Amino acid sequence: MTDSALELHEVTKRYAGHVAVHELSLEVPSGSIYGLLGPNGAGKTTTIRMIMGIVKPDTGTAIVLGVKDGGWALSHRIGYLPEERGLYKKMKVLDLLIFLAEAKGVDRRVAKTAAPEWLERLGLSAWGGHKVDQLSKGMQQKVQFIATVLHKPDLVILDEPFAGLDPVNSQVMKDTVLELSRQGATIVFSTHVMDQAERLCESVCIIARGEKVLDGRVADVKRDHHGRHVAVGVQEGLASIDKILADKSLVAKADNYGNFAEVEMAEGTPPQKLLTSLLSAGAQINRFEIVEPSLHKIFLDRVGSSAATAVAVEP
Amino acid sequence: MRKIWVVIRREFMERVKSRWFMVATLLGPLFMAAMFVVPVILSTRGARERVIVVLDVSTAGFGERVTSALDGTEPIKAVRVAAGVERLENVADSLTSLVVAKELDGFLIVTDESVNDGKIEYRGTNVSSPRDMQFLSRDIEESALTERLTREGVNPEAVRRAKIDVHLKTVKLGGPKGSTQSGEGSFVLAYAMWLVLYMSIILYGASVMGSVVEEKTSRVIEVLISSLRPFQLLAGKVIGVGAVGVFQLTIWGASAAVLGGQQAAIMRAFNASPEVTASASLMPHISMLTAAIFLAYFLLGYFLYASMFAAVAAMSSSEAEARQAQTPIVMLLVVPTVMMIGILNDPNGSLAFWLGIIPFFSPIAMPVRWAAAPVAGSEVVLSLVVLIVTLVGIVWAASRIYRIGILMYGKRPTLPELWRWVRTN
Repeated sequence: MTDSALELHEVTKRYAGHVAVHELSLEVPSGSIYGLLGPNGAGKTTTIRMIMGIVKPDTGTAIVLGVKDGGWALSHRIGYLPEERGLYKKMKVLDLLIFLAEAKGVDRRVAKTAAPEWLERLGLSAWGGHKVDQLSKGMQQKVQFIATVLHKPDLVILDEPFAGLDPVNSQVMKDTVLELSRQGATIVFSTHVMDQAERLCESVCIIARGEKVLDGRVADVKRDHHGRHVAVGVQEGLASIDKILADKSLVAKADNYGNFAEVEMAEGTPPQKLLTSLLSAGAQINRFEIVEPSLHKIFLDRVGSSAATAVAVEP
Repeated sequence: MRKIWVVIRREFMERVKSRWFMVATLLGPLFMAAMFVVPVILSTRGARERVIVVLDVSTAGFGERVTSALDGTEPIKAVRVAAGVERLENVADSLTSLVVAKELDGFLIVTDESVNDGKIEYRGTNVSSPRDMQFLSRDIEESALTERLTREGVNPEAVRRAKIDVHLKTVKLGGPKGSTQSGEGSFVLAYAMWLVLYMSIILYGASVMGSVVEEKTSRVIEVLISSLRPFQLLAGKVIGVGAVGVFQLTIWGASAAVLGGQQAAIMRAFNASPEVTASASLMPHISMLTAAIFLAYFLLGYFLYASMFAAVAAMSSSEAEARQAQTPIVMLLVVPTVMMIGILNDPNGSLAFWLGIIPFFSPIAMPVRWAAAPVAGSEVVLSLVVLIVTLVGIVWAASRIYRIGILMYGKRPTLPELWRWVRTN
């Protein structure tokens, strides 16, 4: 077994008329929390389906838990929470959990003891005998989450796990994910909300339009983009400041709000050079700060806002 | 295999525990009991006396003859009212108002012409009752015959003595081990076979369709597909629903056997006279071979249609869309139904033969043929072989369509797209 829980090597998947995923490679270290980020329609769900073996890539290979093209043979070691949630509405909660665990290959007797334990843990023990459609939406989401992890998977794949959760349930979910991670499971989750990923993930892969934009450890990604973003505040508007910010040899991009500006330095230009120019122009500076960019900002810088908002129908 | 079993058990248990199943399973035997009891109740109710007026404008005594013939018949009380031809319409009008007031059931207009041209008019409220009309025309025919023979100089007493009632008893010959079956029994059996096969294939097939669509619209499929191969899911579902069908049919079959044994007792409990009990169509005898043929065609036909229903469901995104898309499949099932009369009229004709061989029709047509008339064993074998080969092909194509369709939402695929689904690996 390798050190990676999951490797994709240049996988490509085409659907009639369009390319959903194009030559995507990524590597998820064993035991890490990994974020697959991208706007809607970027190819996240297709990528996950290829990891699960539900769809086969047209080209490229997927190595999951050390097994090449494992497909359904691995399904009992993987827990999957799909983006589109759904349960059998007319089934009793406990029966449903036992069925879904059995479908993963868990012994019926084992499932019968594990399911109530999980219901207890997420505060649903009173609801085991109720039908699914008697539960609130938040409770149904918890039930679905239990179904994802009941068979103690080595790899947990969560597609937009926080979508539609209220803050309390969101926190419960986050704690449970961290707990699973501590117990050694590898967690991959996809989201289009980059702030969440930033707080939870050790490593990320950002994709847009089916192609990888960047990947790596969150700390590394940020360091690579560090030192290029500067926040500048001045006492009062000076015409000469506008001229300095428009200088392409100094500044790549600037959002100028009059007496406040967010600036991205031109490639290879140290921020000090901007400070010197501003001082020599006689600006009264009350703020000059090299800021750490958010993943969201990095993403926008790398793909442009058009890709970030492009919404294609995810197949 | 174990995973298929898990799916089978869920489908079976969830269905058998449902209220719908309980109700349908209980209604079956009740319906069968009603088939014995309702005719009895109807016959006792039907025995109510019918009051009829014979409006006689004839001059040679034919009216009297008709009146006495009718009056002698069990449920009919006939009264003769003589009138001249010129007052015919007046009397008819007042009789009509008596019929409307429900004091009369109807009236017969007898003229001199009636004896010559056999034309006679009856106006009443019970004209749609075949039984009443049968009595009427039989008695009138007798009277006319007697009248005409008398005119030819035959002694009326001789005519009366020469009359005899004929009861045709029909017996089906041939079939396995020279078993015999009354003709009426054959018809009842063939009809019952058609009804049960048609209903159960359509009901359980549609049930598979509903189940696939439910998983798709509720998106449970997204979770299931991460645990189970599409084929495991499809096989488990079709077998599970089929098991419910066999279970239900077994309950119905057993209760039919018990009810059949108790038929006479049940009918006596509803005060049926001994003659009615004896003349009622008794439960046809069902041999083991017939039961085996029925079961074989039910299972094969169910698997054939359930696979097609599942494929249709998989390519639809909503219940309404699936219901629309199932029409061609239902049409296939309707064909042998429309041709039922043709099969029964000539169970060994070429229509019946081909319906029994063509795989989409044979699951219904062949058992009906088998029940109606002796069928050569070789024809049954040929029919089964064609059916099984088709079934294998359909299951193969359906599972490939299912595999891709369950993850597709939006527009229903066109035929070329479907063909691509079937071909992709």
